[in-house]
Amino acid sequence: MLNIPINEPHAKIDRLQLAVLAGLMLIGTAFVYSATMANATAATLPWYDQSWVRQIVWYALGIGAGSALCLVDYHTLSRWSFVAYWATIFCLVAVMIPHIGSMRFGARRWIDLGFFQFQPSEFAKLAFILVAAHFLSRPEDELRHPAVFWKGIGLLLLPFALILKEPDLGSALVLLPTGLVMMFVAGTPRKYLLKLVGVVGLLAALFLVDMLFMSPGWWQVSMQPYQRDRLLVYFGRDYTHFAPPDATPAELQRIRQQQLDDEYNVRQALISVGSGGLAGKGWRQGTQNALGYLPRAVAHNDFIFSVIAEEEGFVGSVIVIALYAVVLFTGLRIAGQARDRLGKLVAVGVVTLIFSHVFINIGMNIRIMPVTGVPLPLLSYGGSSVLCSLIALGLMQNIYIHRKGY
Amino acid sequence: MLIFDELKKNDPQLRLLAVTLAGGLFVLLAGLWWVQVVSARKYESHLETQSYRTVRIPAMRGKILDRNGRVLAENRPRYSLSLYLDDLRRQFDAAYGVAIAQTRAGQKQRIAAEEKKLGRSLTKAERKQFALTTGQLKQLHEQSRFRVADSVVKQVGQQLGQTLTLDEAVFNRHYETRLALPYPVLPNLNDTQIARFEEQYPGGLGVDLDLQPVRTYPFGMTAAHLLGYVLRDDSSAEGEDAFFSYRLPDYRGAVGVEAGFDAQLRGRAGAEAVLVNNLGYRQTGNVWSRPEPGHNVVLTMDLDIQQAAERSLAAHQGEDSRAAVVVMDVRTGDVLAMVSSPAINPDYAANEPARLNDPKLRPQINRATQENYAPGSILKTVVALACLENGLNPNATIYNPPSPENPNHGYIMIGRRQIQDTAPSGVYDFRRAIIRSCNTYFITNGLRAGIENIVRMGEKFHLGERTGLPTRQETKGIFPTLDRVHSGWHDGDTANLCIGQGDIAVTPMQITVMISAIANGGKVLKPRLVERIESQDPASGEAPAIFPSGVVCDVLGVHPRSLKILQDAMLAETEDPEGTGRAAFMPGLRICGKTGTSQVTDEHNRVVDHTTWFASFAPYENPCYAVVVMVQSGISGGVSCAPIAHDIYEAILNSEKSNGPALAALRHGGQTD
Repeated sequence: MLNIPINEPHAKIDRLQLAVLAGLMLIGTAFVYSATMANATAATLPWYDQSWVRQIVWYALGIGAGSALCLVDYHTLSRWSFVAYWATIFCLVAVMIPHIGSMRFGARRWIDLGFFQFQPSEFAKLAFILVAAHFLSRPEDELRHPAVFWKGIGLLLLPFALILKEPDLGSALVLLPTGLVMMFVAGTPRKYLLKLVGVVGLLAALFLVDMLFMSPGWWQVSMQPYQRDRLLVYFGRDYTHFAPPDATPAELQRIRQQQLDDEYNVRQALISVGSGGLAGKGWRQGTQNALGYLPRAVAHNDFIFSVIAEEEGFVGSVIVIALYAVVLFTGLRIAGQARDRLGKLVAVGVVTLIFSHVFINIGMNIRIMPVTGVPLPLLSYGGSSVLCSLIALGLMQNIYIHRKGY
Repeated sequence: MLIFDELKKNDPQLRLLAVTLAGGLFVLLAGLWWVQVVSARKYESHLETQSYRTVRIPAMRGKILDRNGRVLAENRPRYSLSLYLDDLRRQFDAAYGVAIAQTRAGQKQRIAAEEKKLGRSLTKAERKQFALTTGQLKQLHEQSRFRVADSVVKQVGQQLGQTLTLDEAVFNRHYETRLALPYPVLPNLNDTQIARFEEQYPGGLGVDLDLQPVRTYPFGMTAAHLLGYVLRDDSSAEGEDAFFSYRLPDYRGAVGVEAGFDAQLRGRAGAEAVLVNNLGYRQTGNVWSRPEPGHNVVLTMDLDIQQAAERSLAAHQGEDSRAAVVVMDVRTGDVLAMVSSPAINPDYAANEPARLNDPKLRPQINRATQENYAPGSILKTVVALACLENGLNPNATIYNPPSPENPNHGYIMIGRRQIQDTAPSGVYDFRRAIIRSCNTYFITNGLRAGIENIVRMGEKFHLGERTGLPTRQETKGIFPTLDRVHSGWHDGDTANLCIGQGDIAVTPMQITVMISAIANGGKVLKPRLVERIESQDPASGEAPAIFPSGVVCDVLGVHPRSLKILQDAMLAETEDPEGTGRAAFMPGLRICGKTGTSQVTDEHNRVVDHTTWFASFAPYENPCYAVVVMVQSGISGGVSCAPIAHDIYEAILNSEKSNGPALAALRHGGQTD
């Protein structure tokens, strides 16, 4: 022991976490396959165009990127954090310019690189964690200065506002708990945090009241109609309540139809999850997905969990949640063993981010959260999401490798 | 927990975070438990109701057989050509792809032309005018679907050698409402077409043959009224699942045996669950419950006798005669034949509507049971029994004076009313009064015996009551009650009743029961139409349900001597040279009979028509069969009806010879099994 220098990094990695990640990636491949191969036209694509093959490619790229990050000490990385932060802010602005950002499903979230639809908001989450950890890792005394506190809030609000503008409500929302938890763990005085939580809570409450109960004549927060509709669906409000007072019966009929269509995803996801029962129907045996009741556009990404839950039942759901639990708690252990506050904050940031994704995504499948386009880390199909999740977990391993030598 | 312990004790923030995460995951687990375990059934049923369509599959209808096992009604397979829309789905999509591309290209050209004309590029709002509306897209979908289906149908039609066309409106409606079911293109293919189709289409090309059972009656119009007919009715029978998304064609008996034993013939419909996708296309089918085939109904009817009766009726009176014949076994009540003319086609749709609704022919009426007729002189048998039971001496004579209007005929005065007799004037005893059907004799003696005794006798024969046939085609006739004759009843009414006129009406079936009772020594039997109901599958081992034969409704309770006197007189009616029923006479079989000719009057009491009767039984020594013939607009019972009865007895003798032991045993008083 004595001949090992204390500052020398341990070459060991967190094997438990890696094993669990491998398990999640296997499940991800299997169910992206199940979700997409049920569609006759998708199944006839050449193998290299199949979603599950692409998902494997993204896993490989993500593992490569994550491993590469482990080679460099996270202290070195954190020095570049502001560069990364401003680069993603730049991208978030760029995505809003019509000819750069491409429009899909009514939102401008992607930059089309030809081979890859790059989604800056995913990378913005990562950059934010790095920059916030860098910023908050200063001595605790400094955190008591209001100026430092407000600067921290500013770092959070800038990407938050830009992502909200895209609009991508889900990605914007997961930034809030991540930032708050990191501030809390860094040791920001409690009075600031309580005030912050109070103000955010009040604003959210006012927003919801305005949203749900005020008739259209009142001043209303400007939102994309589909976002408003999703919230209305979640809170079970009647769309016709928001119809203009002089609406004709035909218009009301159209609005009701719209409501049915919007409730469709949620209802079908819930039926999928519920009909899985205890043991599920078996892999590739789910009818909701195969028969197209669960919309094909979302079955393999945002609603992959409902495919898993239908085909593997409650047992499968518990396994998925248990795997995430292991990832999260090993992450917390890494945070606890980190060499310094910077490492601890990065680890806590990554853990909170992953938890927020898991909670919102699974929550919307069982209707305890409103539908917001948040992917399930490592399971949902999607290059940016997989890449960012694996890079974030690579950072975590980096912190573990450079942990304190006990 | 392992990981917890490793967290530094002096790091409260991390511990709080760990607790929060654990709490969050627990909330998810609890939610999942609630949805997937506690409420799973609810969501499973949601899943089923949205993805399954149930189809009612009718059961194979049972056959109707005659007493010797000859098939009177059965099911014939019918092949129809159907379009399987789920197999054509790819082609629909491809055609739509082409159509939409063409339309889009057309729109682009129009936009380009418009831009050229304006000399500038169009604004967004202007371009919008060229965008396709949802209505147009739907129309495009419909058109491309129809084009695909139509070309398939045309192609098949060419190969079958028959031009086939598709009705666009019907096709689109089927697509929207019954997508999970095949679309019928050509019903009822003939053998050549089936062979050609099988040769050229190995299947899987979107067209295939569908098999449907249709009801057929191998003997055509024979016993049509007795068998009844079926009508299309897909609804659920009692005790069956009431809800189905779709129903395959099924039939329900409307009248006759088809209706009376519908529940047994019909069996129990099955259900198929068809899994459909979210567009409504069929994925797989799964039979939930198999249909249980219906039971066979075996009639007491003897096809040979039935056909002989029909043939004879047609030969003597023509196809359009309005007539009825009933043949019954006087010992068991078994109905051996029941004819109503004019006949209808049991394949109901094949009937000419004009003929069906002809007000004079009224072919839908079963004249054997469903309509009231004045019995005329055949009712004299009832009056005779009442008189004999009440002290009439059959040898005592009555003088029938010559009528002042027609000296060849007798007459009688009742009050100030003169009742003409068809019998010549002269001296009458009982025997002569029966064979010449003397009105004066029976009115005189009927008045002596008293109306109450006549009514009581009629009631014992159950006149004025339904005989209880299961065919839903029965009327109860008219016969005065004791209450009726106690108030406002005059001798004139009694006189009318004695000769079977006035306030009285019967059905041929009632007369058959009556004549059987006279023949068999006084037992009023319940007519039996159905011998047994048995499984269609002889190997099923199911015991057939046998209807009891010889059910006695009532016993006349008259002295055997009275019956003997009446039977002797009836025998003389066919054997005596003077008898009105001579035409029925037949060597080798002694027939007892009674003719009748009743007057049909209009509202002004003018005679407009005659209903003629011949009621008989044979053989005299050991009565077995009752044959009753009724012809509307006949000349007289002896002329119009007796020859038909003669033919029927001939057929019975032939049938006894050919069908051998069973009937012969019957004849000689043995028992059938």
